[in-house]
Amino acid sequence: MAVQLQVRFITKQRKYAVPNTPFTVPSSVGSNELNSLINELLKGNDPEKCYREIDFDFLVYGEVLRVPLSDHLEEHSISSEVTVDVEYFERVPAPEPHDCLLHDDWVSAVQVRDGWILSGCYDNTLHLWTAKGKHQLTIPGHTGPVKAVAWVTHDDMLATFVSASHDQTAMLWEWNVSTNAVECIHVCRGHERGLECAGVSPCQSRMATGGWDTHLKIWSADIHEKSNEGRESVSKRLKTEHGMSQVRTPLMTLKGHKEAISAVQWTDTSEICTASWDHTLRLWDTVIGGIKSEIVGNKSFFDASWSPLSGMLITASADKHIRLYDPRSNEGSLVKSTFTSHTQWVQSVRWSTIEDHLFISGSYDQQVKLWDSRSPKAPLFDLTGHDGKVLCCDWSKPELIVSGGSDNTLRIFHSNQHK
Amino acid sequence: MAAVGTGKKRKFIVSGRNEYVPDASEELVDTRHAYQDEYFLTSITNDDDSSDEDDEELDESGKNDDDGDDEVVFEDDDGEESGSEDSGASSLGDEITGDADYDSGSDYSEYGSEETEHEEEGEVEEEEEEEEEAEERKNDESSKGIKVSDKSEEKESAQSKPLFKLKQTTSSKINKSSTKLSSTILRNGNKKNVMNELAQADENRTIQQADDEYKSDTSDEEDIRNTVGNIPMNWYDDYKHLGYDWDGKKVMKPLKEDELDSFLKRMEDPNFWRTVRDPQTGQDVVLSDADVDIIQRLQAQKIPDANFDDAAPWVEWFTSEVMQTPIVRVPDHKRSFLPSRIEARKVAKMVHAIKMGWMKPQEEKKKSYEPKFFMLWQTDEGVEHMRRIQNHIPAPKRHLPGHAESYNPPPEYLFDKRELKEWNKLRTTPWKRKLHFIPQKYNSLRAVPAYDRFVNERFQRCLDLYLCPRARKMRLTIQPEDLLPQLPNPKDLQPFPTVMSMVYEGHTDMVRSITVESKGQYMVSGSDDLTVKVWEISTGRCLRTIPVGGVVRSVSWCPNQALALIAVAADRKVLLVNPGVGDHLVCSKTDVLLEEAPEQDVVVSERVKTAVQWEQASEDVWKNGIRVIINHFKEVKQVAWHGRGDYFATVMPEGQNRSVIIHQLSKRRSQVPFSKSKGLVQCVLFHPIRPFFFVATQKHVRVYDLAKQELVKKLHSNSKWISSIAIHPGGDNLLVGTYDRKMLWFDLDLSTKPYQTLRLHGTAVRGVAYHKQYPLFASGSDDRSLIICHGMVYNDLLQNPLIVPLKRLSNHEPYNDFGIFDVIFHPTQPWVFSSGADKTIRLYT
Repeated sequence: MAVQLQVRFITKQRKYAVPNTPFTVPSSVGSNELNSLINELLKGNDPEKCYREIDFDFLVYGEVLRVPLSDHLEEHSISSEVTVDVEYFERVPAPEPHDCLLHDDWVSAVQVRDGWILSGCYDNTLHLWTAKGKHQLTIPGHTGPVKAVAWVTHDDMLATFVSASHDQTAMLWEWNVSTNAVECIHVCRGHERGLECAGVSPCQSRMATGGWDTHLKIWSADIHEKSNEGRESVSKRLKTEHGMSQVRTPLMTLKGHKEAISAVQWTDTSEICTASWDHTLRLWDTVIGGIKSEIVGNKSFFDASWSPLSGMLITASADKHIRLYDPRSNEGSLVKSTFTSHTQWVQSVRWSTIEDHLFISGSYDQQVKLWDSRSPKAPLFDLTGHDGKVLCCDWSKPELIVSGGSDNTLRIFHSNQHK
Repeated sequence: MAAVGTGKKRKFIVSGRNEYVPDASEELVDTRHAYQDEYFLTSITNDDDSSDEDDEELDESGKNDDDGDDEVVFEDDDGEESGSEDSGASSLGDEITGDADYDSGSDYSEYGSEETEHEEEGEVEEEEEEEEEAEERKNDESSKGIKVSDKSEEKESAQSKPLFKLKQTTSSKINKSSTKLSSTILRNGNKKNVMNELAQADENRTIQQADDEYKSDTSDEEDIRNTVGNIPMNWYDDYKHLGYDWDGKKVMKPLKEDELDSFLKRMEDPNFWRTVRDPQTGQDVVLSDADVDIIQRLQAQKIPDANFDDAAPWVEWFTSEVMQTPIVRVPDHKRSFLPSRIEARKVAKMVHAIKMGWMKPQEEKKKSYEPKFFMLWQTDEGVEHMRRIQNHIPAPKRHLPGHAESYNPPPEYLFDKRELKEWNKLRTTPWKRKLHFIPQKYNSLRAVPAYDRFVNERFQRCLDLYLCPRARKMRLTIQPEDLLPQLPNPKDLQPFPTVMSMVYEGHTDMVRSITVESKGQYMVSGSDDLTVKVWEISTGRCLRTIPVGGVVRSVSWCPNQALALIAVAADRKVLLVNPGVGDHLVCSKTDVLLEEAPEQDVVVSERVKTAVQWEQASEDVWKNGIRVIINHFKEVKQVAWHGRGDYFATVMPEGQNRSVIIHQLSKRRSQVPFSKSKGLVQCVLFHPIRPFFFVATQKHVRVYDLAKQELVKKLHSNSKWISSIAIHPGGDNLLVGTYDRKMLWFDLDLSTKPYQTLRLHGTAVRGVAYHKQYPLFASGSDDRSLIICHGMVYNDLLQNPLIVPLKRLSNHEPYNDFGIFDVIFHPTQPWVFSSGADKTIRLYT
């Protein structure tokens, strides 16, 4: 005997609105059945009979429905006698594998900006690709594996980007798009060990790097700025060594982490979020040059991503779980939610830039997964394709999900999002 | 006369006290009648109860006697009064004597005797009595004529008094006469009563009646007209008389009326219905209206007195309710509101008794009162508890008889020839027989003869019981769980490595040794494929491969942070390799430091020179990172750095007395610390803090003080072959792995014997390691398993280290019966690396 449940459908997408009346459905109903129900309702609404079927996802009590509705309610210990509000929204379309860019060595860093893909390699080179997968440039210069790349500015003519490497330097590059010539403008020296991460501030005038020397260093990202030159006598000596490029010294060094800094991201023009191997996430204030707040986890953090849309922080640590932190809240448990599906260390996580709830993760189990933060049990999509560890991933451009791995490839997925 | 006078006077005195009023006397008469009627009625209705009636009468008579005493007293008072009035004072003395006599005569016991005395004088007195009677009549007549007044009474009393005094010498006579009189008066009275009620007689008559009534006041006087007593009156049926009066004269039966007379009477006499015959006297008595009324009321089961209000409101004089002011006027005694000391003492005794358990409170007592049931027959299994015999060991149970014992056993139980032969053969050793008798078959139970061996067997049984030593066997029930020590739950001891996270693949042969950089970013491994590889820990990337030209048995990262240097033991060489990772500045400085050998100003002894030669790396190996080569004369098995990173020791097990050599990097100098070989040296270790040097031979670990150049301690491993040692970062605990599967934990402060021996592995333990920060240690074995244990060392010297095995990790592949060669912890994270014979290094987190 199937138990009947009262459900009311609500949506924030007005074009798919259905009447507000409650429906009685059997408790064993899953998202597929609800989907067909909604589609039927919408079809009835549509006078022109040219309705196209849409897939919806259903949000019940803040979590995406993945199991039969009764199980879902039981999990959340909600009585089956109340009218359940089911919010539905258009299902995120499945990303399609688009391209595979072959490198000479492990791809350890990648970032996309306006149709250009910048990747860093373990063979000490940077690569520039078009979004279509055409190789544009190979940029040698580093003497160690490139661990992080970041675009600074980009327009039709000129683009600047930064790369951080295990050779203890970060390099600021200027790329003339039209002539396809790249030039290392500045070499940022100051780190005492290999760099792990780099981040550019939203105002594009500052950048921050962190590495194994546990220091967070803030640099000027402006190519033409020369104000800090000559502050250290060493720089002149180094300048001569490097010929064309000028040596840049850090504007500020923030000490506090006890172990390697694995991720850095600017959350504001004067605020930096870092993740470290010493099990902490820290928020730094660049104006006062100190720690704003600290979140202590119980595993080393390998990566962290902060979403400007939701203000939440997702982290990848030395286990198979992805954890969601809210840096703003001090109450309750620090970990708001745990996403478990990977079977190996998760090496990198990235929020979507347009969707509040979507993020991707790349793991050593050769998988890239697309998650909805409201569905902690299972990811939305598994993006398979890599043959080795996934070392980096990026979703800066909403249409492109790119990931690089130890199989020497950079894989590109089209996320097909409307908007 | 005198007696009557006294009686009259007596009554009047009483009535005078009661303020005698004629009306009141009327009432009195009525009640008297009522009383009489009641009497008659009762005598009529229940003849059987006449005896009871008499008892009551007797009681009443006793009372009346007492009253009589009082009356005498009153009379005396009167007498005195009268005496004062009287002229004859001479009679006073007599009066007194008379009183005395009367007193003595008041007693019943003496009564009879006195009577007899008086009877002797009988006739004279009788005459006097007749005179008295006559006088009484006169008196009556006179009183009838005279309207009674107080004055006349006084006169009468004045007249009668002297008479009385004279007569009182014989009190019994008075009584007798009074009773006689009363009987006659009663007769008169009854008649008069009837008259009274019927004819409404005048007041004089009423008084007369009252007088008569009072004459027969006392019940004994009134009733005893017939002296036969309480006997069935039918005994007198055959006689003409009914009984005897006080004078012994017969009371004659009234003339028996014939039927006609009675019929006429019934017809004519209107009072016939209320006429009753007195059985005692045989007289007819006519009941008054009041009597009839009382009878009717009684028949209706009502209270006889019509005036009695039985529905009157009840006055509750003594209520159960506690009143504010009690009825009793006397205030309570002080005692009543002071706590009693005696009671308090009693209570205290009880409380003490309860406390001591001598006395039980009520509830407990009740329980003990519950019926107890005793087991009459205990079970066969249970031990019988006897009061006198403690710990009684019951005799062993005899077997129950089986089929063989039957008088008519089945044929298969009967002995055949062979069995019988066997039976007979064992004659000398009867205890070896299967049965101690030969089964025999009888047709009926009647045919069974007496058992001839009964006495013998009973005797044997007694002997058995008597001679057999019996002892109680104590059985210990120890659960296997109880033997295990109480250990904390591994969940509470996190973090510790639980899963394999990374596999470092790249070597082509067994990886014998691994070492991790102090920052925890890189790891170096040495393998049988003649290479040393540098790995990035977080990604598993092999950054560098350095061919060393020999089987690498040991690699060790220099703990000095200012140097980027690895000591690699490859065959007979020890190579100092700059891995070229980490801080570039440090790497370059290391290179600068090792570029040129410092000048040797000390003469190296021949013993050392033949054992060790330092050599600067040539150009072609320099680019591989090899900076210095130290050639040894035997195969080097182990390199161990001192904590400061300047000294390192190498071990050559085959080096005899030069098997351990200590090198100084800064001076490129070597020395052989031991002149004598103590055994096959397996491994060496520097103490992390103090200048101690641990040398592990096959069975012992010797601790030397390098500063004092002496042996400090010798640790006995109790095992056959030590494989590896590791020291706790605190420096007080040593972990020893042995090839005979054991892992030994030595507490150096405690003893030279192992504090704990862990037999966790199935085969030889090849590597042991402590974590630098976390309370963890691990061991790797040939059974391919890596075992993680919690090893908490407390600062409190009194508290022993806590050792809890946590996790067994078996991920390595088997290869030539080898499993894990080396185990090392990450310097900062709770991660552990193991290198195995399957060419891989694995990271567990």
